[in-house]
Amino acid sequence: MAVAVHEKKQVLDMAALRKDFPILERPMNGRPMVFLDSAASSQKPISVLQTLDHYYRHTHANVHRGVYQLSQEATDAFEAARRTIARFIHAPTDKEVLFVRGTTEGINLVASSYGRSFLQPGDEILISTMEHHSNIVPWQMIAEQMGARIKVWPITPAGELIWEAADELMGPKVKIVAITHISNALGTINPVKDIIELAHSRGIPVLLDGAQAIPHLKVDVQALDVDFYTFSGHKMFGPTGIGILYGKEKWLDQMPPYHGGGEMIERVTFEKTTYNELPHKFEAGTPDISGAVGLAAAVDYMESIGHEAIGQHEHALLEYATEQLLGIDGLRIIGTAAQKASVISFMVEGLHPYDIGALLDKMGIAVRTGHHCTQPLMDWYGIPGTVRASFAFYNSFEDVERLVEGVKRAVQMLA
Amino acid sequence: MSEKLKQLYQELILQHHRHPVHFEKREDAGAVIEAYNPICGDRFQLYLDMADEKIARISFYGYGCAISKAATSVLVSQMDGQGVIQAAQTIERFLHALQSTEENPILENELAAFLPARQFPERMQCVTLSWEALKTFLAGY
Repeated sequence: MAVAVHEKKQVLDMAALRKDFPILERPMNGRPMVFLDSAASSQKPISVLQTLDHYYRHTHANVHRGVYQLSQEATDAFEAARRTIARFIHAPTDKEVLFVRGTTEGINLVASSYGRSFLQPGDEILISTMEHHSNIVPWQMIAEQMGARIKVWPITPAGELIWEAADELMGPKVKIVAITHISNALGTINPVKDIIELAHSRGIPVLLDGAQAIPHLKVDVQALDVDFYTFSGHKMFGPTGIGILYGKEKWLDQMPPYHGGGEMIERVTFEKTTYNELPHKFEAGTPDISGAVGLAAAVDYMESIGHEAIGQHEHALLEYATEQLLGIDGLRIIGTAAQKASVISFMVEGLHPYDIGALLDKMGIAVRTGHHCTQPLMDWYGIPGTVRASFAFYNSFEDVERLVEGVKRAVQMLA
Repeated sequence: MSEKLKQLYQELILQHHRHPVHFEKREDAGAVIEAYNPICGDRFQLYLDMADEKIARISFYGYGCAISKAATSVLVSQMDGQGVIQAAQTIERFLHALQSTEENPILENELAAFLPARQFPERMQCVTLSWEALKTFLAGY
Protein backbone atom coordinates (compact mmCIF):
# COMPACT_ATOMS: atom_id res chain seq x y z
CA MET A 1 0.00 0.00 0.00
CA ALA A 2 1.37 3.38 -0.96
CA VAL A 3 1.23 5.62 2.06
CA ALA A 4 1.21 9.35 1.58
CA VAL A 5 2.56 10.85 4.78
CA HIS A 6 0.29 13.52 6.10
CA GLU A 7 1.80 16.82 6.84
CA LYS A 8 2.38 17.06 10.60
CA LYS A 9 0.78 20.45 10.78
CA GLN A 10 1.73 22.12 14.05
CA VAL A 11 -0.85 24.65 15.16
CA LEU A 12 -0.09 24.63 18.90
CA ASP A 13 3.09 25.39 20.81
CA MET A 14 3.35 21.84 22.17
CA ALA A 15 6.40 22.34 24.35
CA ALA A 16 4.78 25.20 26.24
CA LEU A 17 1.36 23.58 26.35
CA ARG A 18 2.61 20.25 27.72
CA LYS A 19 4.33 22.10 30.55
CA ASP A 20 0.84 23.07 31.74
CA PHE A 21 0.18 19.37 32.46
CA PRO A 22 2.78 18.27 35.05
CA ILE A 23 1.65 14.61 34.97
CA LEU A 24 2.76 14.32 31.34
CA GLU A 25 6.34 14.76 32.51
CA ARG A 26 6.38 11.70 34.74
CA PRO A 27 8.10 8.62 33.40
CA MET A 28 6.15 5.40 33.02
CA ASN A 29 7.90 2.05 33.16
CA GLY A 30 11.20 3.69 32.42
CA ARG A 31 10.03 5.69 29.40
CA PRO A 32 8.52 9.14 28.99
CA MET A 33 4.78 8.56 29.39
CA VAL A 34 2.50 8.63 26.36
CA PHE A 35 -1.02 9.16 27.64
CA LEU A 36 -3.63 8.09 25.08
CA ASP A 37 -6.66 7.54 27.29
CA SER A 38 -8.14 11.02 27.55
CA ALA A 39 -11.51 9.72 26.35
CA ALA A 40 -11.70 7.85 29.66
CA SER A 41 -10.41 10.77 31.70
CA SER A 42 -8.25 13.70 30.74
CA GLN A 43 -5.29 15.15 32.62
CA LYS A 44 -5.48 18.48 34.45
CA PRO A 45 -3.63 21.72 33.76
CA ILE A 46 -1.80 23.54 36.55
CA SER A 47 -4.39 26.33 36.50
CA VAL A 48 -7.11 23.86 37.56
CA LEU A 49 -4.90 22.42 40.31
CA GLN A 50 -4.07 25.89 41.56
CA THR A 51 -7.71 26.94 41.52
CA LEU A 52 -8.67 23.93 43.66
CA ASP A 53 -5.82 24.63 46.06
CA HIS A 54 -6.68 28.31 46.29
CA TYR A 55 -10.36 27.59 46.83
CA TYR A 56 -9.70 25.29 49.78
CA ARG A 57 -7.00 27.52 51.28
CA HIS A 58 -8.94 30.77 51.07
CA THR A 59 -12.59 30.49 50.13
CA HIS A 60 -14.21 27.30 51.40
CA ALA A 61 -17.40 27.22 53.44
CA ASN A 62 -20.82 25.78 52.69
CA VAL A 63 -22.84 27.58 50.04
CA HIS A 64 -26.27 29.24 50.18
CA ARG A 65 -26.27 28.85 53.96
CA GLY A 66 -24.36 31.27 56.07
CA VAL A 67 -24.78 34.93 56.85
CA TYR A 68 -21.05 35.19 57.30
CA GLN A 69 -18.70 36.53 54.68
CA LEU A 70 -16.77 33.34 53.95
CA SER A 71 -19.96 31.46 53.07
CA GLN A 72 -20.95 34.33 50.83
CA GLU A 73 -17.58 34.20 49.08
CA ALA A 74 -17.90 30.44 48.54
CA THR A 75 -21.42 30.95 47.19
CA ASP A 76 -20.18 33.69 44.87
CA ALA A 77 -17.40 31.45 43.57
CA PHE A 78 -19.83 28.57 43.05
CA GLU A 79 -22.41 30.69 41.22
CA ALA A 80 -19.71 32.45 39.18
CA ALA A 81 -18.60 28.99 38.06
CA ARG A 82 -22.16 28.25 36.94
CA ARG A 83 -22.21 31.48 34.91
CA THR A 84 -18.86 30.64 33.31
CA ILE A 85 -20.17 27.26 32.23
CA ALA A 86 -23.47 28.74 31.04
CA ARG A 87 -21.51 31.13 28.86
CA PHE A 88 -19.23 28.30 27.66
CA ILE A 89 -22.16 26.27 26.30
CA HIS A 90 -24.13 29.41 25.42
CA ALA A 91 -27.06 28.60 27.71
CA PRO A 92 -29.67 31.37 27.67
CA THR A 93 -29.79 31.48 31.48
CA ASP A 94 -27.71 29.93 34.24
CA LYS A 95 -30.94 28.60 35.81
CA GLU A 96 -30.81 25.91 33.13
CA VAL A 97 -27.30 24.80 34.13
CA LEU A 98 -27.40 22.12 36.83
CA PHE A 99 -24.39 20.79 38.65
CA VAL A 100 -24.36 16.99 38.75
CA ARG A 101 -21.65 14.44 39.47
CA GLY A 102 -21.06 13.70 35.80
CA THR A 103 -22.69 12.56 32.58
CA THR A 104 -23.96 9.37 34.17
CA GLU A 105 -25.84 11.30 36.83
CA GLY A 106 -27.11 13.79 34.25
CA ILE A 107 -28.68 11.01 32.20
CA ASN A 108 -30.06 9.25 35.27
CA LEU A 109 -31.64 12.51 36.40
CA VAL A 110 -33.42 13.05 33.09
CA ALA A 111 -34.39 9.39 32.70
CA SER A 112 -35.88 9.32 36.18
CA SER A 113 -37.50 12.77 36.42
CA TYR A 114 -38.58 13.24 32.81
CA GLY A 115 -39.54 9.57 32.66
CA ARG A 116 -41.79 9.71 35.73
CA SER A 117 -43.57 12.79 34.35
CA PHE A 118 -43.91 11.99 30.69
CA LEU A 119 -43.72 8.24 30.04
CA GLN A 120 -46.85 6.12 29.73
CA PRO A 121 -47.13 2.37 29.22
CA GLY A 122 -46.36 1.57 25.60
CA ASP A 123 -44.28 4.71 25.02
CA GLU A 124 -40.88 4.43 23.41
CA ILE A 125 -37.39 5.77 24.14
CA LEU A 126 -35.09 6.02 21.13
CA ILE A 127 -31.37 5.40 21.69
CA SER A 128 -28.70 4.11 19.29
CA THR A 129 -26.50 1.06 18.85
CA MET A 130 -23.39 3.07 19.76
CA GLU A 131 -24.50 4.25 23.21
CA HIS A 132 -22.33 3.98 26.30
CA HIS A 133 -23.89 1.82 29.05
CA SER A 134 -24.70 5.05 30.90
CA ASN A 135 -27.06 6.05 28.08
CA ILE A 136 -28.69 2.60 27.98
CA VAL A 137 -29.14 1.34 31.52
CA PRO A 138 -30.90 4.41 33.04
CA TRP A 139 -33.45 4.25 30.22
CA GLN A 140 -33.96 0.53 30.71
CA MET A 141 -34.59 1.14 34.41
CA ILE A 142 -37.23 3.83 33.84
CA ALA A 143 -38.74 1.91 30.91
CA GLU A 144 -39.29 -1.07 33.16
CA GLN A 145 -40.81 1.12 35.85
CA MET A 146 -43.18 2.95 33.50
CA GLY A 147 -43.98 0.12 31.08
CA ALA A 148 -42.18 1.87 28.23
CA ARG A 149 -39.75 0.26 25.82
CA ILE A 150 -36.36 1.00 24.28
CA LYS A 151 -35.91 1.33 20.53
CA VAL A 152 -32.43 1.17 19.04
CA TRP A 153 -31.32 3.25 16.05
CA PRO A 154 -29.11 0.98 13.91
CA ILE A 155 -25.70 1.89 12.49
CA THR A 156 -23.69 1.10 9.38
CA PRO A 157 -20.48 -0.98 9.56
CA ALA A 158 -18.54 2.30 9.43
CA GLY A 159 -20.24 3.29 12.68
CA GLU A 160 -22.68 5.92 11.42
CA LEU A 161 -26.36 6.11 12.25
CA ILE A 162 -28.49 4.86 9.36
CA TRP A 163 -30.21 8.14 8.56
CA GLU A 164 -32.85 6.50 6.34
CA ALA A 165 -34.14 4.68 9.42
CA ALA A 166 -34.82 7.91 11.33
CA ASP A 167 -38.20 8.67 9.79
CA GLU A 168 -39.72 5.37 10.81
CA LEU A 169 -37.94 5.19 14.18
CA MET A 170 -39.32 8.52 15.39
CA GLY A 171 -42.90 7.32 15.46
CA PRO A 172 -45.78 8.76 17.52
CA LYS A 173 -44.95 6.66 20.60
CA VAL A 174 -41.41 8.01 20.96
CA LYS A 175 -41.30 10.37 23.96
CA ILE A 176 -37.58 11.11 24.03
CA VAL A 177 -34.50 10.61 21.87
CA ALA A 178 -31.27 10.01 23.81
CA ILE A 179 -28.17 9.89 21.63
CA THR A 180 -24.48 10.39 22.09
CA HIS A 181 -22.97 13.46 20.45
CA ILE A 182 -19.68 11.61 19.86
CA SER A 183 -19.19 7.86 20.31
CA ASN A 184 -16.59 7.01 22.95
CA ALA A 185 -15.74 3.69 21.30
CA LEU A 186 -15.81 4.67 17.61
CA GLY A 187 -15.19 8.40 17.56
CA THR A 188 -18.23 8.99 15.32
CA ILE A 189 -19.57 12.55 15.46
CA ASN A 190 -23.32 12.20 15.06
CA PRO A 191 -25.39 14.66 12.99
CA VAL A 192 -27.03 15.95 16.13
CA LYS A 193 -28.47 19.14 14.67
CA ASP A 194 -30.36 17.15 12.04
CA ILE A 195 -31.52 14.66 14.65
CA ILE A 196 -32.85 17.44 16.87
CA GLU A 197 -34.60 19.16 13.97
CA LEU A 198 -36.33 15.96 12.93
CA ALA A 199 -37.29 15.06 16.50
CA HIS A 200 -38.65 18.54 17.16
CA SER A 201 -40.72 18.47 13.99
CA ARG A 202 -42.53 15.62 15.73
CA GLY A 203 -42.63 17.22 19.14
CA ILE A 204 -40.00 14.86 20.64
CA PRO A 205 -37.35 16.28 22.99
CA VAL A 206 -33.72 15.22 22.62
CA LEU A 207 -31.02 14.47 25.19
CA LEU A 208 -27.42 14.49 24.01
CA ASP A 209 -24.68 12.66 25.87
CA GLY A 210 -21.92 15.21 25.47
CA ALA A 211 -19.22 13.45 27.51
CA GLN A 212 -16.97 12.88 24.50
CA ALA A 213 -17.91 16.03 22.58
CA ILE A 214 -17.22 18.71 25.15
CA PRO A 215 -13.41 18.20 25.24
CA HIS A 216 -13.21 18.52 21.45
CA LEU A 217 -15.96 20.71 20.00
CA LYS A 218 -17.58 24.06 20.60
CA VAL A 219 -20.99 23.19 22.02
CA ASP A 220 -23.74 25.79 21.67
CA VAL A 221 -26.95 24.52 23.25
CA GLN A 222 -29.02 27.30 21.70
CA ALA A 223 -27.70 26.78 18.18
CA LEU A 224 -28.39 23.06 18.60
CA ASP A 225 -31.78 23.83 20.20
CA VAL A 226 -31.12 20.73 22.32
CA ASP A 227 -33.48 19.94 25.21
CA PHE A 228 -30.92 18.28 27.50
CA TYR A 229 -27.15 18.25 27.19
CA THR A 230 -24.93 16.58 29.75
CA PHE A 231 -21.19 16.18 30.21
CA SER A 232 -18.46 15.40 32.76
CA GLY A 233 -15.83 17.77 34.10
CA HIS A 234 -13.06 15.21 34.29
CA LYS A 235 -13.10 14.52 30.56
CA MET A 236 -12.65 18.24 29.81
CA PHE A 237 -9.54 18.83 31.93
CA GLY A 238 -11.50 19.57 35.11
CA PRO A 239 -11.83 17.63 38.37
CA THR A 240 -13.60 14.29 38.83
CA GLY A 241 -16.97 14.26 40.57
CA ILE A 242 -18.46 17.28 38.82
CA GLY A 243 -20.49 17.52 35.66
CA ILE A 244 -23.23 19.52 34.02
CA LEU A 245 -26.77 18.88 32.96
CA TYR A 246 -28.14 21.61 30.77
CA GLY A 247 -31.94 21.41 30.46
CA LYS A 248 -34.50 23.72 28.93
CA GLU A 249 -36.48 25.48 31.60
CA LYS A 250 -39.78 24.40 30.05
CA TRP A 251 -38.89 20.76 30.74
CA LEU A 252 -37.09 21.20 34.06
CA ASP A 253 -40.09 23.12 35.41
CA GLN A 254 -42.36 20.20 34.67
CA MET A 255 -40.04 17.57 36.12
CA PRO A 256 -40.06 16.44 39.76
CA PRO A 257 -36.82 16.66 41.79
CA TYR A 258 -34.42 13.78 41.43
CA HIS A 259 -32.94 13.75 44.92
CA GLY A 260 -34.52 15.10 48.08
CA GLY A 261 -32.66 16.94 50.81
CA GLY A 262 -31.34 20.33 51.77
CA GLU A 263 -30.97 23.19 49.31
CA MET A 264 -33.65 21.86 46.93
CA ILE A 265 -36.53 22.91 49.20
CA GLU A 266 -38.54 26.08 49.60
CA ARG A 267 -40.44 25.03 52.71
CA VAL A 268 -40.57 21.72 54.56
CA THR A 269 -43.18 20.49 57.01
CA PHE A 270 -43.79 16.88 57.94
CA GLU A 271 -46.92 16.97 55.83
CA LYS A 272 -45.64 18.60 52.67
CA THR A 273 -42.58 20.11 51.07
CA THR A 274 -42.49 22.75 48.40
CA TYR A 275 -39.47 22.90 46.17
CA ASN A 276 -36.91 25.56 45.51
CA GLU A 277 -36.66 27.23 42.12
CA LEU A 278 -34.26 26.26 39.34
CA PRO A 279 -31.48 25.28 39.38
CA HIS A 280 -31.56 24.48 43.11
CA LYS A 281 -34.59 22.19 42.80
CA PHE A 282 -32.25 19.60 41.29
CA GLU A 283 -29.27 20.19 43.56
CA ALA A 284 -30.05 18.49 46.85
CA GLY A 285 -27.37 18.50 49.51
CA THR A 286 -24.05 20.29 49.68
CA PRO A 287 -22.78 20.42 46.10
CA ASP A 288 -19.25 19.73 44.89
CA ILE A 289 -18.24 23.36 45.31
CA SER A 290 -14.54 22.92 44.64
CA GLY A 291 -15.38 20.75 41.64
CA ALA A 292 -17.57 23.49 40.18
CA VAL A 293 -14.88 26.12 40.71
CA GLY A 294 -12.27 23.77 39.22
CA LEU A 295 -14.49 23.07 36.23
CA ALA A 296 -14.81 26.80 35.55
CA ALA A 297 -10.99 27.01 35.61
CA ALA A 298 -10.89 24.18 33.05
CA VAL A 299 -13.30 26.16 30.86
CA ASP A 300 -11.02 29.20 31.10
CA TYR A 301 -8.05 27.03 30.18
CA MET A 302 -9.78 25.53 27.13
CA GLU A 303 -10.87 28.97 25.99
CA SER A 304 -7.31 30.26 26.33
CA ILE A 305 -6.23 27.68 23.76
CA GLY A 306 -9.34 28.06 21.64
CA HIS A 307 -11.66 25.53 20.08
CA GLU A 308 -10.41 26.19 16.60
CA ALA A 309 -6.79 25.38 17.45
CA ILE A 310 -7.85 22.35 19.48
CA GLY A 311 -9.94 21.07 16.59
CA GLN A 312 -7.20 21.58 14.01
CA HIS A 313 -4.49 19.94 16.10
CA GLU A 314 -6.61 16.94 17.04
CA HIS A 315 -7.76 16.45 13.48
CA ALA A 316 -4.15 16.43 12.30
CA LEU A 317 -3.30 13.86 14.99
CA LEU A 318 -6.27 11.72 13.98
CA GLU A 319 -5.32 11.72 10.30
CA TYR A 320 -1.67 11.02 11.00
CA ALA A 321 -2.40 8.22 13.49
CA THR A 322 -5.01 6.64 11.23
CA GLU A 323 -2.64 6.55 8.30
CA GLN A 324 0.32 5.26 10.31
CA LEU A 325 -1.67 2.56 12.11
CA LEU A 326 -3.19 1.31 8.86
CA GLY A 327 0.36 0.64 7.67
CA ILE A 328 0.57 -2.23 10.20
CA ASP A 329 -0.28 -5.64 8.72
CA GLY A 330 -3.50 -7.12 10.06
CA LEU A 331 -4.58 -3.95 11.85
CA ARG A 332 -8.22 -2.99 11.41
CA ILE A 333 -9.82 0.24 12.63
CA ILE A 334 -13.28 -0.13 14.16
CA GLY A 335 -15.26 3.03 13.44
CA THR A 336 -14.52 4.72 10.15
CA ALA A 337 -17.21 7.38 10.03
CA ALA A 338 -16.66 10.36 7.76
CA GLN A 339 -16.99 12.71 10.75
CA LYS A 340 -14.76 11.53 13.58
CA ALA A 341 -13.24 12.89 16.77
CA SER A 342 -9.67 11.99 17.72
CA VAL A 343 -10.49 8.48 18.93
CA ILE A 344 -9.15 5.36 17.21
CA SER A 345 -10.38 1.89 18.14
CA PHE A 346 -8.51 -0.94 16.52
CA MET A 347 -7.83 -4.66 16.51
CA VAL A 348 -4.93 -6.66 15.19
CA GLU A 349 -5.68 -9.96 13.47
CA GLY A 350 -5.17 -12.87 15.88
CA LEU A 351 -4.22 -10.72 18.85
CA HIS A 352 -6.21 -9.88 21.95
CA PRO A 353 -6.59 -6.20 22.93
CA TYR A 354 -5.45 -6.99 26.48
CA ASP A 355 -2.12 -8.38 25.32
CA ILE A 356 -1.46 -5.36 23.12
CA GLY A 357 -2.48 -3.00 25.93
CA ALA A 358 -0.29 -4.78 28.49
CA LEU A 359 2.76 -4.65 26.22
CA LEU A 360 2.16 -1.00 25.34
CA ASP A 361 1.90 -0.19 29.04
CA LYS A 362 5.36 -1.61 29.63
CA MET A 363 6.63 0.67 26.87
CA GLY A 364 5.13 3.62 28.76
CA ILE A 365 2.07 3.98 26.52
CA ALA A 366 -1.35 4.16 28.20
CA VAL A 367 -4.30 3.01 26.06
CA ARG A 368 -7.68 1.62 26.93
CA THR A 369 -8.55 -1.97 26.09
CA GLY A 370 -11.82 -3.85 26.31
CA HIS A 371 -15.44 -3.08 25.53
CA HIS A 372 -15.33 0.61 26.55
CA CYS A 373 -18.68 0.27 28.37
CA THR A 374 -20.35 -0.38 25.02
CA GLN A 375 -21.05 -4.11 25.13
CA PRO A 376 -24.06 -3.98 22.78
CA LEU A 377 -21.92 -2.14 20.22
CA MET A 378 -19.12 -4.70 20.52
CA ASP A 379 -21.71 -7.50 20.17
CA TRP A 380 -23.01 -5.76 17.04
CA TYR A 381 -19.52 -5.81 15.55
CA GLY A 382 -19.07 -9.38 16.81
CA ILE A 383 -15.88 -8.51 18.67
CA PRO A 384 -15.01 -8.80 22.37
CA GLY A 385 -13.34 -5.41 22.50
CA THR A 386 -10.74 -3.17 20.95
CA VAL A 387 -7.59 -1.25 21.76
CA ARG A 388 -8.52 2.42 21.91
CA ALA A 389 -6.13 5.32 21.56
CA SER A 390 -7.75 8.68 22.24
CA PHE A 391 -5.98 11.97 21.70
CA ALA A 392 -6.37 15.29 23.46
CA PHE A 393 -4.82 18.60 22.43
CA TYR A 394 -1.81 17.91 24.68
CA ASN A 395 -0.85 14.85 22.63
CA SER A 396 1.90 15.28 20.09
CA PHE A 397 2.88 13.71 16.79
CA GLU A 398 5.70 11.99 18.72
CA ASP A 399 3.02 10.33 20.88
CA VAL A 400 1.46 8.93 17.70
CA GLU A 401 4.85 7.65 16.55
CA ARG A 402 5.51 5.97 19.89
CA LEU A 403 2.11 4.27 19.66
CA VAL A 404 2.70 2.99 16.16
CA GLU A 405 6.17 1.75 17.05
CA GLY A 406 4.78 0.12 20.20
CA VAL A 407 2.00 -1.70 18.35
CA LYS A 408 4.54 -2.96 15.81
CA ARG A 409 6.73 -4.33 18.58
CA ALA A 410 3.77 -5.94 20.35
CA VAL A 411 2.68 -7.63 17.12
CA GLN A 412 6.21 -8.85 16.52
CA MET A 413 6.36 -10.36 19.97
CA LEU A 414 2.92 -11.99 20.06
CA ALA A 415 2.18 -13.09 16.54
CA MET B 1 10.58 -4.29 26.99
CA SER B 2 11.06 -5.06 30.67
CA GLU B 3 12.52 -8.37 31.83
CA LYS B 4 9.49 -8.95 34.04
CA LEU B 5 7.19 -8.67 31.07
CA LYS B 6 9.33 -10.97 28.96
CA GLN B 7 8.98 -13.57 31.70
CA LEU B 8 5.21 -13.19 31.69
CA TYR B 9 5.07 -13.59 27.93
CA GLN B 10 7.72 -16.33 27.86
CA GLU B 11 8.06 -18.70 24.96
CA LEU B 12 6.23 -21.61 26.60
CA ILE B 13 3.19 -19.40 27.11
CA LEU B 14 3.36 -17.91 23.63
CA GLN B 15 3.60 -21.42 22.16
CA HIS B 16 0.40 -22.47 23.96
CA HIS B 17 -1.26 -19.24 22.81
CA ARG B 18 -0.30 -19.86 19.17
CA HIS B 19 -0.90 -23.62 19.23
CA PRO B 20 -3.34 -24.42 22.02
CA VAL B 21 -3.80 -28.05 23.11
CA HIS B 22 -7.14 -29.79 22.39
CA PHE B 23 -8.63 -26.59 20.98
CA GLU B 24 -11.96 -27.85 19.68
CA LYS B 25 -15.67 -27.39 20.17
CA ARG B 26 -17.56 -30.59 20.97
CA GLU B 27 -21.32 -30.79 20.58
CA ASP B 28 -21.41 -34.27 22.15
CA ALA B 29 -19.42 -33.54 25.32
CA GLY B 30 -20.83 -34.91 28.58
CA ALA B 31 -20.39 -31.56 30.32
CA VAL B 32 -19.71 -28.02 29.17
CA ILE B 33 -18.26 -25.50 31.61
CA GLU B 34 -18.14 -21.81 30.86
CA ALA B 35 -15.26 -19.67 32.09
CA TYR B 36 -16.21 -16.03 31.59
CA ASN B 37 -14.64 -12.81 32.77
CA PRO B 38 -17.20 -10.01 32.31
CA ILE B 39 -14.57 -7.34 32.92
CA CYS B 40 -12.40 -8.15 29.92
CA GLY B 41 -14.85 -10.29 27.93
CA ASP B 42 -12.67 -13.40 27.84
CA ARG B 43 -14.83 -16.46 27.43
CA PHE B 44 -13.88 -20.14 27.15
CA GLN B 45 -15.91 -23.31 27.08
CA LEU B 46 -14.39 -26.44 28.55
CA TYR B 47 -15.79 -29.69 27.11
CA LEU B 48 -15.51 -32.74 29.36
CA ASP B 49 -16.36 -36.42 29.33
CA MET B 50 -16.26 -37.91 32.80
CA ALA B 51 -15.91 -41.69 33.27
CA ASP B 52 -14.86 -43.88 36.21
CA GLU B 53 -14.13 -40.89 38.46
CA LYS B 54 -11.78 -39.61 35.79
CA ILE B 55 -11.63 -36.79 33.28
CA ALA B 56 -11.72 -39.15 30.31
CA ARG B 57 -11.57 -36.39 27.73
CA ILE B 58 -11.23 -32.62 27.85
CA SER B 59 -10.99 -29.89 25.23
CA PHE B 60 -11.70 -26.17 25.07
CA TYR B 61 -12.76 -23.41 22.74
CA GLY B 62 -13.22 -19.67 23.03
CA TYR B 63 -11.56 -16.32 23.04
CA GLY B 64 -9.18 -14.66 25.42
CA CYS B 65 -5.82 -12.96 25.78
CA ALA B 66 -2.57 -14.84 25.28
CA ILE B 67 -2.22 -15.45 29.02
CA SER B 68 -5.75 -16.76 29.60
CA LYS B 69 -5.67 -18.86 26.45
CA ALA B 70 -2.29 -20.38 27.33
CA ALA B 71 -3.39 -21.02 30.92
CA THR B 72 -6.49 -22.82 29.63
CA SER B 73 -4.41 -24.81 27.16
CA VAL B 74 -2.04 -25.90 29.94
CA LEU B 75 -5.01 -26.75 32.15
CA VAL B 76 -6.45 -28.98 29.46
CA SER B 77 -3.12 -30.69 28.79
CA GLN B 78 -2.62 -31.32 32.53
CA MET B 79 -6.13 -32.58 33.21
CA ASP B 80 -6.56 -34.98 30.33
CA GLY B 81 -6.98 -38.45 31.81
CA GLN B 82 -6.56 -37.41 35.44
CA GLY B 83 -8.69 -38.79 38.28
CA VAL B 84 -11.09 -36.32 39.87
CA ILE B 85 -9.25 -36.17 43.18
CA GLN B 86 -5.84 -35.88 41.58
CA ALA B 87 -7.16 -33.17 39.22
CA ALA B 88 -8.59 -31.16 42.11
CA GLN B 89 -5.27 -31.45 43.94
CA THR B 90 -3.29 -30.22 40.93
CA ILE B 91 -5.60 -27.22 40.59
CA GLU B 92 -5.33 -26.46 44.28
CA ARG B 93 -1.55 -26.73 44.20
CA PHE B 94 -1.34 -24.38 41.19
CA LEU B 95 -3.72 -21.77 42.61
CA HIS B 96 -1.91 -21.91 45.94
CA ALA B 97 1.49 -21.40 44.31
CA LEU B 98 0.15 -18.34 42.48
CA GLN B 99 -0.91 -16.86 45.82
CA SER B 100 2.33 -17.66 47.62
CA THR B 101 5.40 -15.45 47.83
CA GLU B 102 7.71 -18.48 47.84
CA GLU B 103 10.37 -17.93 45.19
CA ASN B 104 10.36 -21.34 43.54
CA PRO B 105 7.41 -23.45 44.62
CA ILE B 106 7.62 -27.01 43.30
CA LEU B 107 5.53 -27.18 40.16
CA GLU B 108 5.56 -28.88 36.79
CA ASN B 109 7.41 -26.72 34.22
CA GLU B 110 4.24 -25.89 32.34
CA LEU B 111 2.63 -24.58 35.52
CA ALA B 112 5.70 -22.79 36.80
CA ALA B 113 5.71 -20.77 33.57
CA PHE B 114 2.79 -18.76 34.98
CA LEU B 115 4.50 -17.77 38.23
CA PRO B 116 5.77 -14.46 36.78
CA ALA B 117 2.12 -13.38 36.68
CA ARG B 118 2.53 -12.86 40.43
CA GLN B 119 4.33 -9.63 39.44
CA PHE B 120 1.22 -8.52 37.51
CA PRO B 121 -1.75 -8.64 39.88
CA GLU B 122 -4.05 -7.28 37.16
CA ARG B 123 -3.24 -10.31 34.98
CA MET B 124 -3.75 -12.94 37.68
CA GLN B 125 -7.41 -13.36 36.69
CA CYS B 126 -6.26 -14.22 33.15
CA VAL B 127 -4.25 -17.14 34.54
CA THR B 128 -6.87 -18.46 36.94
CA LEU B 129 -10.05 -17.96 34.88
CA SER B 130 -10.46 -21.51 33.52
CA TRP B 131 -8.73 -23.15 36.50
CA GLU B 132 -11.26 -21.66 38.89
CA ALA B 133 -14.13 -22.72 36.64
CA LEU B 134 -12.93 -26.34 36.55
CA LYS B 135 -12.28 -26.27 40.28
CA THR B 136 -15.91 -25.27 40.91
CA PHE B 137 -17.14 -28.00 38.58
CA LEU B 138 -15.04 -30.70 40.22
CA ALA B 139 -16.09 -29.62 43.70
CA GLY B 140 -19.69 -30.25 42.73
CA TYR B 141 -18.99 -33.49 40.92
